[in-house]
Amino acid sequence: MPSNRTRLILKTAAATLVLAGLAAAAIGALVLRTGVYDTTATSQHLQPVHTLLELGMHYSVRNHASEVAVPPLGAPQQVKQGAAVYAAHCAQCHGGPGSAQAKIGQSMQPLPGPLVDASARWRPRELYWITKHGIKMSGMPAWQFHLSDADLWAVVSFMGVLPTLSARDYAQATGRANVAETPASAPTTAGAAQ
Amino acid sequence: MTARLLVCALALLAGCQGKAPPAGIQGDPARGRVALAQHACRACHMIPGVTGPETYVGRSLADLAEQRFIAGSLPNTQANLVRWIRNPQAIDPQTAMPAMGVSERDALDMSAWLLAPN
Repeated sequence: MPSNRTRLILKTAAATLVLAGLAAAAIGALVLRTGVYDTTATSQHLQPVHTLLELGMHYSVRNHASEVAVPPLGAPQQVKQGAAVYAAHCAQCHGGPGSAQAKIGQSMQPLPGPLVDASARWRPRELYWITKHGIKMSGMPAWQFHLSDADLWAVVSFMGVLPTLSARDYAQATGRANVAETPASAPTTAGAAQ
Repeated sequence: MTARLLVCALALLAGCQGKAPPAGIQGDPARGRVALAQHACRACHMIPGVTGPETYVGRSLADLAEQRFIAGSLPNTQANLVRWIRNPQAIDPQTAMPAMGVSERDALDMSAWLLAPN
């Protein structure tokens, strides 16, 4: 049987924890219910929040992709196939060397990053995993129900080659020149006709 | 007391959001800061005051105000920076930096943020 003094200390500690937990929950509920948190895509995350979320995503992908078996990558035909997939589905949000992403990709929060450095940041099996399953709450869709497995690996293969491409090489590989649309303030159709 | 501290903290935070444009610089730097995020500049460039990942696809723009030249050839004036932002390939056809469809006003505001001292 602990002494009275020890029992008092334990009771005080337990009561403090419970009260602190209740206070935190009340503050959380207040922040949630008043709607003061800004969910607009023009308001940025605080840098530490962004860094922490990104770090968590890295660890998660590394963990979940660790068992993926990687097929042979880099055959010219596969890279060519990957370039076509990239131009059709990736470039609209991620862009490419000398080639802007479409407006939808420019104004997302978080921003879809460029992929020229993707193969330096990720292993091929991790790129496959991200492309196949997407990233929750980031806007990155899962492609597994829209692309064949061969196409998924082909685009991973193309991302391996992407850092070696100049803007001109990229335009040739994908058939994609700079697709930046005209600024919103400028006339869009009349200007092209003249 | 607590309320006063809170007001001070908020004022400090607000102070971080707005930079006073240096003499001779046109445009609205606070609006430019948002425009830099909305035209995806932060995807490739690290920019003070704009949240994003550690990236080295393009150069860091942290010390742009100190640079003498833009793109290795253009004297670093606000007018030249606006030209470069709006159509980099017109200045350097080989550049990997794409034209992002930036309006004159947005480019001016973006350059005001980039040329303000950090």
